[in-house]
Amino acid sequence: MTSTTGTAPKAVPRPPRESLARRIGYAVAKGPVHIVLIVVALAWLTPTVGLLVASGRLESDNAQSGWWNALTHTSQLTFQSYRDILDTPEIVNAFWNTVFITVPATLGVVLIGSLAAYAFAWIDFRGRDWAFVGVVALLVVPVQVALIPVADLYGRLGIFGDLSGVVLFHVAFGLPFAVFLLRNFFAGIPRELLEAARIDGASELKVFRTVVLPIGLPAIASLAIFQFLWVWNDLLVGLVFADTSHAPLTVAIRSQLRQFGTNIDVIAPAAFLSMIVPLIVFFAFQRYFVQGLLAGSER
Amino acid sequence: MADDGERSTGIEEGSAPAGAPSPPDQAQPAVAVATAGPTVPGRPGAARPAPRERGVGYSPRLALLFLLPALVVLGALVVYPIFYTVGRSLFDRPGSSFVGVDNYREMFELEETRTAIRNNAIWVVAAPTLATSIGLIFAVLAERVRWQTVFKVAVFMPMAISFLAAGVIFRLVYEEEPERGLANAVVASVVDAVRPPGEIEGARPSQTDAARRSDGGYATVQSFRPGQVVGIGLAGITQARIPKGSALARAPTSGGRGALRGVVWLDFTRGGGGQPGVVDATERGLRGVDVEAVRNENVAGTATTKPDGSFRIDGLERGSYRVRLAASNFRQPYGGVEWLGPSLITPAIIGAFLWIWVGFAMIVIGAGLAAIPREVLEAARTDGAGEWQVFRRVTAPLLRPVLLVVLVTLMINVLKIFDLVFVIAPPSVQDDANVVALEMWRVSFGGQLDQGLGSALSVLLFVLVIPAMIFNIRRLRSEER
Amino acid sequence: MSKLRKFVALGAAALLLVAAGGRAVPSQNKPLDGQKVEVAAVWTGTEQKNFKKVLDAFKKKTGASVTFTSTGDDIAPALEPRIAGGNPPDVAVLPQPGLLRDFAQRGALRPIEDVAGTEVDSNYAPIWRELGSVDGQLYGVWFKSANKSLVWYNTKVFRDAGVQPATDFNQLLQDMKTIADSGVKPLSVGAANGWTLTDVFENVYLAQAGAEKYDQLAKHQIPWTDDSVKQALTTMGQIVQADYLPGGTSKTLQTEFPQSVQNLYASPPKAGVEIEADFVAGVISGDTKAKLGKTAKFFPVPGMSGGPAPVVTGGDVAVLFKDSEGGKELVKFLATPQAAQVWAKAGGYISANKSVSPNAYSNSTFRQIANVLVTSSNVQFDMSDQQPASFGATDGQGEWKIFQDFLRNPSDVDGTAQQLESAAAQAYAGG
Repeated sequence: MTSTTGTAPKAVPRPPRESLARRIGYAVAKGPVHIVLIVVALAWLTPTVGLLVASGRLESDNAQSGWWNALTHTSQLTFQSYRDILDTPEIVNAFWNTVFITVPATLGVVLIGSLAAYAFAWIDFRGRDWAFVGVVALLVVPVQVALIPVADLYGRLGIFGDLSGVVLFHVAFGLPFAVFLLRNFFAGIPRELLEAARIDGASELKVFRTVVLPIGLPAIASLAIFQFLWVWNDLLVGLVFADTSHAPLTVAIRSQLRQFGTNIDVIAPAAFLSMIVPLIVFFAFQRYFVQGLLAGSER
Repeated sequence: MADDGERSTGIEEGSAPAGAPSPPDQAQPAVAVATAGPTVPGRPGAARPAPRERGVGYSPRLALLFLLPALVVLGALVVYPIFYTVGRSLFDRPGSSFVGVDNYREMFELEETRTAIRNNAIWVVAAPTLATSIGLIFAVLAERVRWQTVFKVAVFMPMAISFLAAGVIFRLVYEEEPERGLANAVVASVVDAVRPPGEIEGARPSQTDAARRSDGGYATVQSFRPGQVVGIGLAGITQARIPKGSALARAPTSGGRGALRGVVWLDFTRGGGGQPGVVDATERGLRGVDVEAVRNENVAGTATTKPDGSFRIDGLERGSYRVRLAASNFRQPYGGVEWLGPSLITPAIIGAFLWIWVGFAMIVIGAGLAAIPREVLEAARTDGAGEWQVFRRVTAPLLRPVLLVVLVTLMINVLKIFDLVFVIAPPSVQDDANVVALEMWRVSFGGQLDQGLGSALSVLLFVLVIPAMIFNIRRLRSEER
Repeated sequence: MSKLRKFVALGAAALLLVAAGGRAVPSQNKPLDGQKVEVAAVWTGTEQKNFKKVLDAFKKKTGASVTFTSTGDDIAPALEPRIAGGNPPDVAVLPQPGLLRDFAQRGALRPIEDVAGTEVDSNYAPIWRELGSVDGQLYGVWFKSANKSLVWYNTKVFRDAGVQPATDFNQLLQDMKTIADSGVKPLSVGAANGWTLTDVFENVYLAQAGAEKYDQLAKHQIPWTDDSVKQALTTMGQIVQADYLPGGTSKTLQTEFPQSVQNLYASPPKAGVEIEADFVAGVISGDTKAKLGKTAKFFPVPGMSGGPAPVVTGGDVAVLFKDSEGGKELVKFLATPQAAQVWAKAGGYISANKSVSPNAYSNSTFRQIANVLVTSSNVQFDMSDQQPASFGATDGQGEWKIFQDFLRNPSDVDGTAQQLESAAAQAYAGG
């Protein structure tokens, strides 16, 4: 199958063609793989679908039969539960609390983290390596270790129960990862770009602002996404540091769980609403990190 | 590590070699893989410039400026607490008097803590291993299909939702009633298809004239001779449960030769007023019940009841027989597995954990897989190796670092597990599902408010993760070199 | 510069206007105008909405503005840090007398004799003053009550079984057997929540052993190994036997209270009766398709062998944490029939306040339940709620857990009594 025309440029040698039998065998082997993967994917999606359907049923129906019954008895489906929780001030309030916790926490981590990462990447000082290792080592510190001391600290500062306390805590525990991530990335910025800016007379801060941040945007974006997801979905920190009026959505839902009622008609729509934002973030940006994951391999 | 091929992909570098950065409750190492540095074109194997060569040179004051916010926040909220907690653990409940290691002693003596530690051990061994293995399988399989991204997104999606939502979802899945819980609905339909429940399950004799047998059937206490009439009245099922096609009960008036005749009917008058043991006017027979005549544990003859509940067992020799209602009539439908009971609760929660984390393992391993150069695999295949051998000899060894990273990340997260256990385990089994992180919360912020003991538990938790911390540090340092 | 001056001038003018405006509206003779009061309680959802109506009435009357803080079930952990930190709410409504005693003994509460003493005396039976007092001092007003001695049943099940509401306890036991024969499991109980079992026990005990013994046991003046207890346990064992429970014992231990009500009124019904409190009505109307008064009815727990019918009650008590004007007035208001009537009208509520007019109850079911409570001579407070919390009111411990174990093995009367006694002894000793 090489070219027969003598004057054609020498073709790049192609890998030996697999025999027909081999290829058929391969295709047949693939069939079950498809089936298995489809089954697995469906199985993975089913629990979430179940929650969604359950949130569209009345309490009395949910108590009697499983959510899949609504698929055959579609008359059971209703938006009533959603309407009801939008009337529940705790839930609506908690939603806004979550927003007011997550956004500042994300911004905080990005800002403080990138400043520190830049220092670790490009500014030389004695003990820098040890300091970096130290910061990254903090990655594994369990949140529990800090709960009591910080509760005590906040009590003395008078911010126990407030949103600011929760935000600060999340920033603190997001920093090690942020620093680790960004420092690696920043270190890869070509020196020439930074030098060029400095030669132009820019101060370090300006270099940071005009060169590092824009180039580092993919990493920063990824960091922001993950921090956002993590903080939005957090339960423990909110449980300990936020009082009832400042509770995030996860805490508010959980307190409904313990309450006087099976409450699936409250919990399911609330849980679903609390999932919507992260899911939107996830689906909107999943291309970026999945792509990023795969991009590194397609060299 | 000087393998150009590997370096250039950028996957190894920064792919969380420092033991997978894992912010407290959700891992983000996948991102580390993604952002291993902007691609530096044309410099595939270039070593990173030595420290002194880059940046602005030696300027500690500037560094301080940039580092200050981070150091303040970290110092106050992460570093200082470590020392505080260790200190606090040496004091008593209100924090006023020094008690030394009393809290630690109490901690280890408490049944709850021991259960928690044992459970944590189960978690650490089972969960990461399972998640990694399943993730590996999925990654390998997914690689072969065009739509692998869709698949990966579907499996990874649970990581985007909170552990609370996941907990709620799995409470719905693990409901014991097969009518309501997804898991048991599936199990029950399978089991009931294989061993169908009896039509009149739940029914039992209305009087003491028949006794229950160990296999679930009922036998008359009295013995009967051919020619006699046997009446077996049952109660315990509603009118609605009477088998289809049943009619008003009619007791035969006399037996036949060599035959035992009788009637099996629902001995309860709707609305009350009937007499037990008597076929009252409105009482209905039970159709389709399998009846046996038994002598000395041998079945001498069988019959099935007619719509009016009557039956006739023929071909009986002289003698006395007991009449038995076969166990198959009463076979119970499958009640469902008690997922959230004391024995299965930890595996059940681990199941939920897997649902969330397999996606992560799959993605990271998938990236590692993708990093394996095609040529190496092709070479192995052309050498005549089968798929399985290729996997075993070539793929697996190359994946080892990635697998290790995934395992360690998961282990760290598992040690700290709190949310899932907190939400899924109903109060009655919280003790059985207990893990150290949960116990710490219960002790410090639950009813007792014993922060001395809680601090001791935090220290315990911290000690458990220290090995991972050392592992991290080691890898990071070796990477720096 | 002049721009700046202009700006400052405008700003000052604005401020003055605002300050003036604040004073412009004359206060309309409302005694507490402008005052802020904070009240905390466990109520969420519908209950919260209805309580807020009561608070609105208070605001209308006094002009004070009230903030409501919902703490969810765990009110103690929510209040503790605030008390320790010196900023508790003005008023809290506690769900257990044990908590009342606890706080009072620690000096966290203000006595309310001068605030609401006369109201309590004129509007409530003496037992409510006693329950609201610690060491002779009055600290609490019982604003909301519960009648826990009701047998809820499914009329369809009763009809098919040919059974009528029982007037004697032993008749009830007999009826349960008949219901079982008719094909429906007789008893629904939300045993996953241990307190449902204590409620059954208390009803049996009060009916069988009588008020005096009940009181002694509640105060731990007689041990749990007393014969009267063992007798009650034996009777209770008949009620909660495995054959009488839908799905058997293990399923019942997984069934939570609201689910147990839903089981009772499912179609087809999974059970015949449930011995529980008036708040069952809330679950019925909110979470089932059954109609109160038609499919869903109740009758009072009958007395035993001619003895008086037991009435076990529960309730929520309003206490005062701060010496604020607003707080005091609120507590006083809650002791008046006006406050109770607001909620009575909204439904899902009964009051032990004798001065509440029966017509205030918009729902006839609740009117009847309240009537029983207010007129009965055999009223006793829920025993488990009177105990120290670690014995009587904690998941996985004490009474709640031991009764769950008892459900698994109702024949072990002696063992259960012994366990109860040990746990009680430990709790009373301060364990």
